[in-house]
Amino acid sequence: MELETQSLARGLRRRDPELLDHLIGQYQFRLFRYLLYLSGRREVAEELFQETWIRVLERGYQYDGKTKFEAWLFAIARHLVIDMLRRRKSPADSPASLDDLLDPGKGKRVFEPPNPESAALIDLLAAEEESEHVRSALACLPAAYREVLMLRFQEDMQLEEIAAVTGAPLSTVKSRLYRGLADLRQQLEKDHGL
Amino acid sequence: MDYNSHERAERLIAQARVEGITPEERVWLDRHTEECARCAGLTDATERALRSLRSVTVRVDPELVKRTQLLVRFRANQLEGERTEMLPVWVCCALSWILGLATAKPVWRGFEWLGQHAGVPNLVWQASFAGWLLLPTIVAAAVLALRRPESGRARL
Repeated sequence: MELETQSLARGLRRRDPELLDHLIGQYQFRLFRYLLYLSGRREVAEELFQETWIRVLERGYQYDGKTKFEAWLFAIARHLVIDMLRRRKSPADSPASLDDLLDPGKGKRVFEPPNPESAALIDLLAAEEESEHVRSALACLPAAYREVLMLRFQEDMQLEEIAAVTGAPLSTVKSRLYRGLADLRQQLEKDHGL
Repeated sequence: MDYNSHERAERLIAQARVEGITPEERVWLDRHTEECARCAGLTDATERALRSLRSVTVRVDPELVKRTQLLVRFRANQLEGERTEMLPVWVCCALSWILGLATAKPVWRGFEWLGQHAGVPNLVWQASFAGWLLLPTIVAAAVLALRRPESGRARL
């Protein structure tokens, strides 16, 4: 793995366009899903998808090849989401982190619940019924929980890697996972009787 | 079965998925869920929730991917162009610094001589000498500052 990431790091330092083309194709689904889970809006996720790859191009020299590329990629994407949400909020209530931004107890939730009348939102997920149920349940969770659940159970990341991406202590990552998992289970049972 | 064993089972069900449990804990949990319908239900519900979570699919617009690849290539060309454009500035800076360092001793003496003949305090001619040495950096900084508003991110 290290050999692979080292050669990736060299390519990023060179700003190799072929390599970047390949990476964009390879990580399109995973990065977009992560951005969508965090931001909760397709148009925002699309904008940030482009921004993330531009940032990868510009800051590629910072990737040392010692960690997994996706962890570095998601960390960049996460910073961009936070920056974007900060810009959209008024300076008076400028939050310090994703948790402050997305804590459901502190204001409007960013992740929009699905609206069956909206074609764009329906397009967010494949037409599978179960996806809709999960999405609906996820919409009720704080973004900080959605994020760790997605990184752990969809990306299959180790807890340490999640801590590196989110910049949170390991204990915080664990408690978010436990609470997120319990909340998700309850939501799915409550809303859809799964 | 007491309340504590249900609580322990509940904790282990989640822990098994989040960070893993020991083989001994696995044996205990399996035995407990065989006997306890409530905890068995909880195990099933957790499994179903995770299966559902993993089944979520997100569609990515192929046009978005193509646009992004184009945008990145465009920006890479921009950055390469900027680097090429700045090369002469850096070469000039480097040469000025080399020349400045190589001639530092006679120039220092020259400033000293001029300062003494003009009757200015030592600090003045010494500061002038420092300004002379820093001149390439100041020029390079000015060039960079003038260039900055022109360089912008590409958008598609």
